[in-house]
Amino acid sequence: MTRNWRFSSVAALAVGVFLHPFTAMAGEAPALAEAVAAGNLPPLEERLPAQPEVVTGLENIGAYGGKLRRMLGGSNDHNSILRIISPQGLTRWKPDFSGVVPNVAESWTTNEDGSEFTFKLREGMKWSDGEPFTADDILFFVNDLLNNQEFYPNAPARFVVAGEPMQAEKVDDYTVILKFAAPYGTFLTELATPLAQEPVLWAKHYCQQFHPAYNDNVQAMVDETEAVEDWPALYRLKCGEVEAPNRWSNPERPTLDPWVVTGEGYSAGSTQVVMERNPYFWQVDEEGNQLPYIDQLEMGVAQDNEALVLEAIAGNIDFQRRKISNPANKPVFAENAEKGGFEILDMINSNSNSMAIHFNHTHKNPQMREFIRNHDVRVALSLGIDRDEIIDIVYQGQGEPYQIGPRPTHVLYNEQLGKQFTDYDPDKANELLDAAGYAEKDDEGFRLFPDGSRIVFNAQYTGVEQPDWGDSLEIIKEQWEEIGIELNSTSVERSIYYSRGEANEHDFMVWGAPGGLDPTLSPRDVLAVHPQASWFAIPWTRWYLSGGSEGEEPTESMKKRLALYDAFKQEADQEKALDIFRQIHQEAADEMEIIGIALAPNLVGVVNKKLMNAPRSLPSSWMYPDPGPTLPQTWYWPES
Amino acid sequence: MIWRYILKRILWMVPFLFGVSIVAFLLIQAPPGDYLTTYIAKLGESNEVMDQASVQNLRERFGLDQPLYVQYFKWVSRLMVGDFGMSFEWRQPVSDLVWGRMGLTLCLSMATLLFTWAVAFPIGVYSAVHKYSFGDYLATTIGFIGLATPNFLLALILMYIGVVHFGADVGGLFSNEYKNAPWSMAKVWDLAKHLWLPVVVLGTSATASLIRIMRANLLDELNKPYVDTARAKGLSEFWLIMKYPVRVALNPFVSTIGWVLPNLVSGAVVTAIVLSLPTAGPLMLQALLAQDMYLAGAFVLMLSSLTVIGMLLSDILLVLLDPRVKYD
Repeated sequence: MTRNWRFSSVAALAVGVFLHPFTAMAGEAPALAEAVAAGNLPPLEERLPAQPEVVTGLENIGAYGGKLRRMLGGSNDHNSILRIISPQGLTRWKPDFSGVVPNVAESWTTNEDGSEFTFKLREGMKWSDGEPFTADDILFFVNDLLNNQEFYPNAPARFVVAGEPMQAEKVDDYTVILKFAAPYGTFLTELATPLAQEPVLWAKHYCQQFHPAYNDNVQAMVDETEAVEDWPALYRLKCGEVEAPNRWSNPERPTLDPWVVTGEGYSAGSTQVVMERNPYFWQVDEEGNQLPYIDQLEMGVAQDNEALVLEAIAGNIDFQRRKISNPANKPVFAENAEKGGFEILDMINSNSNSMAIHFNHTHKNPQMREFIRNHDVRVALSLGIDRDEIIDIVYQGQGEPYQIGPRPTHVLYNEQLGKQFTDYDPDKANELLDAAGYAEKDDEGFRLFPDGSRIVFNAQYTGVEQPDWGDSLEIIKEQWEEIGIELNSTSVERSIYYSRGEANEHDFMVWGAPGGLDPTLSPRDVLAVHPQASWFAIPWTRWYLSGGSEGEEPTESMKKRLALYDAFKQEADQEKALDIFRQIHQEAADEMEIIGIALAPNLVGVVNKKLMNAPRSLPSSWMYPDPGPTLPQTWYWPES
Repeated sequence: MIWRYILKRILWMVPFLFGVSIVAFLLIQAPPGDYLTTYIAKLGESNEVMDQASVQNLRERFGLDQPLYVQYFKWVSRLMVGDFGMSFEWRQPVSDLVWGRMGLTLCLSMATLLFTWAVAFPIGVYSAVHKYSFGDYLATTIGFIGLATPNFLLALILMYIGVVHFGADVGGLFSNEYKNAPWSMAKVWDLAKHLWLPVVVLGTSATASLIRIMRANLLDELNKPYVDTARAKGLSEFWLIMKYPVRVALNPFVSTIGWVLPNLVSGAVVTAIVLSLPTAGPLMLQALLAQDMYLAGAFVLMLSSLTVIGMLLSDILLVLLDPRVKYD
């Protein structure tokens, strides 16, 4: 999908070529070889699948050893671990985010209408404790958890199609068919996203001890475990769950990950999380050396983001952008790069816009609703913003005037959606507003609604997380005065902000716009599909998600888009699916429900100069949980 | 009798803590929304979609769909048997999370308290006895600077200097190799090597104010007739001051113990965050922000207990120290 993604490390490449002859002989890490010699571990060929996946590092064949240092934020930063380990799902992203490839699955086939997926697993593949990984593990998830009302009273939406949860059929130990009630064209893509790992997250041989279907004494275990009331709670405590830190808190839980936690793992009390190589990891390099190359991940815990920046400039972080990616840190990093021995990561922002204004098209006040729903009014409000001024003052000149939609480098780029009405033209804006029937003004020069009350936008923003939004709103306030529109903005706490939005009590909401590199995965700004964050029309979202029984019926344009989106989710042919999305974007461009300010600038991070095979430039996104898809298991230290 | 007095005070703690638990629960519930609102907000920030079904699942799993009083009684009845419940955010039993943090917090608090006293006591006495001398002015100036500089700023400055100029390992209470290691002499020594920075940072402002209090109190006492009497009887100046006026002036030291314990947990949050200290403060702050009510509730209860215990301690010490205080 993306073309501007590149690896730019010519210097590192040269060093790598020079060092290449010194790399270790094909095989395994020295520590594992010793364990095998001592009889503590089966030999390599018994630990690897019959046909391990061969992955190619970015630059060279690597060498074993060393540790990779990262930092976690103090409060609940489990996704930072997930990102470096990479969610080992049935599929994974290509490093350039352009599509998915087999991962835990060796291959797959799809039936004609895209409702059944046959996954071929790797024969002889093992969990991190040496037990075989087979189709039964997947069946355990589907039959005993996903379709178990006690465990999931409602199955997660990503495994539900047409109201029916996914079903599984075992063909043999290494072949399993996943079935849906209707076509699910985006299933394979969905499996590569960070939270869709459940089918291969839980090892049956370990986790079944917490399941009443396999262990009659579960209740006794529940009773003796503090704070646990039923078996699903016990199961989740011991076996972990996708979006929770306790996934990394039980070192006994077998995984398919390149590194596994040691000691106490990650919990609120942790000051450091250490992970060590999985001796049964199922990937090798082109010469047959078992991955990962790096022995150990060492992740310190720091509460404060400034402290993390300090650690970074002191050279105590080997690869990271999380918590320190604010573009404002760039000069600090540049100044200390030499001394700290690191390079600056260029993280291609997957977001579309730094700040988008989501006008509330379902406003409770009929006058305000009519005002917002007038296309000319929205054009006028967009023309009334001098985006260049905001970019200069608030965003240190980074970015260019932009609305929303895919970034210019993306195959789905739509120029109209991205660039329409972004020039500053207050005269034209005034004309449009006059013509739209809002020509009356009060003695302070502000326009009036037909009933004589002043047109005022009261806007809130989450000032603690995003002070830049407040700065921008202050500038917009002045600019909108020129076109006779009053704007008041206040900073609120984030959960209050969300409650207001969900209660549909806002004039407009300010939020960054996703969908720059991941438009099909995060379409919430062009489609009313996100019940918490399609701010421009939460009641439309409810209407859509409830099949029309709740919320409010959307406009014709939105209904058309939602129908297209349903078609998109079923379409198995990638090209046809993209064409459907082009139509969605065109419709959204014509309608222009929300407006943006500036194309989101790239983020920054740090990478140790000596770290080989690690990219210097990569997409930054949650759906593509950077840097996982760039295969950190192939990174290595040239001398160690 | 002093024993009866102590016993009575301890018995009074029970209904008091019960009241505190109600207030704590209500306070944590007071902001709009609940843990799930915060959780959804956090997911929204990373562009993650939370479908309604999963939200409903979680709400039921966490018991957030039940009325407030039911939630409270569930919590309190489990507290009776020492079960603090499950942390929503960490999905782990609260007691697993709280005790380690409280231990280090107490250790840090005690070290800071000792540091504060060790510095403030002699300087305060010196300042009072040598009023308006060069030493008095010097101590006063330094004291005021310590009082006026916010702790977290001092921490940031010391950290920056440490990292940029000395390549020192600052932040946290342990070096990397000891963070996960079991307790040993080497680990204790490592802790000692890291402890001085937070102790100095946290101690400065408290030291400064105690110096002033000591000085003022002692000055009041020094001019009283009993001092002159003692001096006339030929007591050496050092013993004279130590034995009578200082003992009276110590009153504020002792009566503030009750606040020192909870203060170091709650008041030092920002500093602890900046210095990445694994103490209770940062975790409690996060729990409050996330409306992770069982975790936050546990901390609030512990803080209240600490306050009550601290108050008891200072009352007992006051009784022993100051013959003018009566128990009843």
